[in-house]
Amino acid sequence: MNRMKPRNLLWSLIFGGLLLPQLASATLFLRISGSELSAVQDMGVKNLVFGWPIPDVSAVGKVQAQGYQVFFEAPPGDLSAAAETAEKMNITGVILAMENVDGPGDNELFRRVTSAHPRLSFLLLNPGGKEPQMRGRLVVERNGILQVSSPTSQPWVDTNLALVKLARAFRPDVTPLYSFHWDLSDALRNKLGPAAEDYCLAISEANAFHADVIVDLHEKLQQGLLGKESSAWAVWNNVKRYIAFEHSESAAGKLRPLANTGVVMDTMAPSYEGLNLMARHNIPFVVLRPGDLKPKLLESFDALVIFSAPSSAAVTALGDFAMRGGIVVLVNLRGQFPWHSLEPAHKNKQATAYDVGAGQVVELAEPVIDPEAFSRDLRRLMGFQRMTLGLWNSLTSVAVADLQDSNGETIVNLVNYALEAEPVQVQIKGHFSSIRYESPDGGCCQYLTPVQRGPFTEFVIPALFIQGEVHLRR
Amino acid sequence: MHWRRTYPIVVFLIASVSSPILCAQTEPPVYKKRYIMGTVFEVVVYGLPADRASAAIDKALGEAVRLDHVMSNYKDDSDLSRMNRTAHFQSTEIPPDLYRVIEESLPYSRLSDGRFDISVGPLVDLWKAAMQGGLMPTAEQEARARDCVGYQKIKLIPPNRIEFHSACMRLDLGSIGKGYAVDGMAEILRAQGVRSAYINAGGSTMYGIGTPPGKKGWAVHLRDPSGSLNPEVMLTDNSLSTSEQTAGSALGGVSPGHIVLPTTGKPLQTQYAVNVVARSATESDALSTTLLLVGPEKGAVVIKGRKDVAAMWISKDGERTVADNGVQTFRENRTGVQTDSNSAGTNIPGSPNQK
Repeated sequence: MNRMKPRNLLWSLIFGGLLLPQLASATLFLRISGSELSAVQDMGVKNLVFGWPIPDVSAVGKVQAQGYQVFFEAPPGDLSAAAETAEKMNITGVILAMENVDGPGDNELFRRVTSAHPRLSFLLLNPGGKEPQMRGRLVVERNGILQVSSPTSQPWVDTNLALVKLARAFRPDVTPLYSFHWDLSDALRNKLGPAAEDYCLAISEANAFHADVIVDLHEKLQQGLLGKESSAWAVWNNVKRYIAFEHSESAAGKLRPLANTGVVMDTMAPSYEGLNLMARHNIPFVVLRPGDLKPKLLESFDALVIFSAPSSAAVTALGDFAMRGGIVVLVNLRGQFPWHSLEPAHKNKQATAYDVGAGQVVELAEPVIDPEAFSRDLRRLMGFQRMTLGLWNSLTSVAVADLQDSNGETIVNLVNYALEAEPVQVQIKGHFSSIRYESPDGGCCQYLTPVQRGPFTEFVIPALFIQGEVHLRR
Repeated sequence: MHWRRTYPIVVFLIASVSSPILCAQTEPPVYKKRYIMGTVFEVVVYGLPADRASAAIDKALGEAVRLDHVMSNYKDDSDLSRMNRTAHFQSTEIPPDLYRVIEESLPYSRLSDGRFDISVGPLVDLWKAAMQGGLMPTAEQEARARDCVGYQKIKLIPPNRIEFHSACMRLDLGSIGKGYAVDGMAEILRAQGVRSAYINAGGSTMYGIGTPPGKKGWAVHLRDPSGSLNPEVMLTDNSLSTSEQTAGSALGGVSPGHIVLPTTGKPLQTQYAVNVVARSATESDALSTTLLLVGPEKGAVVIKGRKDVAAMWISKDGERTVADNGVQTFRENRTGVQTDSNSAGTNIPGSPNQK
């Protein structure tokens, strides 16, 4: 069951023939609360976001005069008004805060407004962004805690990777944009604001996932920077190293995702947590629409997870895919399928598995109830040989691998949500002779020693703190 | 006997309303977390000014980091890793903490007839690879790994030396190390003047110092694989640990489980989760694994006569067995109303009732 189809490796590497390559660049937007800010060159950021309605119009004028590019962030109902004001004030653009990840809702209104204001940039803000962090389990209250015991748990990581992948599936030609608000429920954090590392993590995450992000600049920090407080500038100078890393040389190219798992869905709701946990478990996947289930595209994959009812043509394609050695997991989909004529290889309350040709079809009888177990099981089902990317010693890191169009390099971006420097062992499919490592803290460049193990190359990043970028050449 | 477990239990936490009167009387709690020993260590301190509480927590978490450098089997340069490379048939000096935690582990091996064994590492590694999608171990590999296991082959030479009487022995403190670290943290917090605090090491070992403001203890909901009993315990200057075997695969793949029985060389087959309350976290941590490995019947014998120790085994179908030496420790809350532990099963002090 663990046979790796050699052509899949090739397809994985050139994957994207039917999907658009994505820009590697990521843009940082700062959402500010006060009316003034330090100079653009000191901040290292040029895009500012003001929530609509604008409480203080003069503040917008001031930062514009400083050379900042200003965007208004508006909900769908205020899109027209925000655009008109933006036009009058010579604002750079409008960010539409969408209610669903699959589009602006009222497409007609969006089309009308955008065509009425051709000078303005219109960006789509995906809902559901969250503060990237390694989460604890305690709920702390003023007079006690809430806690449930368990076996030792893997740290829970809040990552925006699934959201970015979803957004890219719905609008492949647009760089995904998301946002979040800092969790300031803790009294100490509310008073002091997020630490430098928290800003760095948010910036690193967006950079690693090739997405744009809006980050709130905490009022205390904003005031401190304006007041030239050394502690505030110590924080921001740290952050600026990560902003500068975002604009490094590798961000200019176009990338194609390295992924051997396809997730087929037409709606976000029932499957999002499953996706989230697949991202968390470093299962390299892309999100596909049901119409993508065509034999040629499926050759790119080793596994398919199906959340949307397949058409009869797609069912045939899935059967053929399994015959050739692929793994198909159907989640909570009822119907008569050709493989039902076979004796199940395994059957229990939750799942029925069929050996189909060289591959396997597993039908889950229920939606994904435990996404953590689902992702772990999927990884196990795919087996060692089919894993394209694996991390050891790093339960808190997420890795994303891409192929760079311009020079054939494979680039692995890693983000460590624990904010603790840890050695991380990486295993990637393929043989690479040169491995270059860069990070915002260590700069460029460190050459790591590749070790070939079967079809894989292994290497160790000595200390991954928040972000690292690895360039692999054959 | 644990390794770094690669799954969290989905936790449902329901926020409750805090008393405005109490809020006015107390300092806001200070909470911090840090990634240590492959999981999240969390500390919350009440009743101290924020800067003092914050400094105390930093010191406590720093202690756990220090002990990780002593006991980690993931770090090549830890004292444990060094010992695992050098102590075969030669007496090797080790730091006091490492000596102490190994010394504290050995009685549990004797109590459990070798089921609890800190030398089980080679077997665990073998099955861990299978769990992560690798091949299942062959009988030959299994036999080879079993040859490396056996607490009787560990020789401690007071005050600070150790020798392995095996060429391939490798110790893994995963089943006791977190508890030892939590005890160290509690000691530091107390030394810093903390009188009300809660320490959580990855959800599996926790310790309550004093009580939270206005409460009788730190109420902790216990792991209940049946989801029907909702048992809880109040911690007050004592510790709780939980152990459970990895859940099976829903997709039909092989899921051997992360807790390996040294006496058979294979992953433990059990339907239980075990919750253990004890005075120290070292004890609760080691006992929770021990009691999972030996089961309720033999577990009652292990518990009998141990002061301030209680254990509850809960099966997937809601059967529960309690051993508590006559001191009612656990409470159950089936419908939101707290009842005593006898309401859901016979509670025989020192002798569990396996329903």
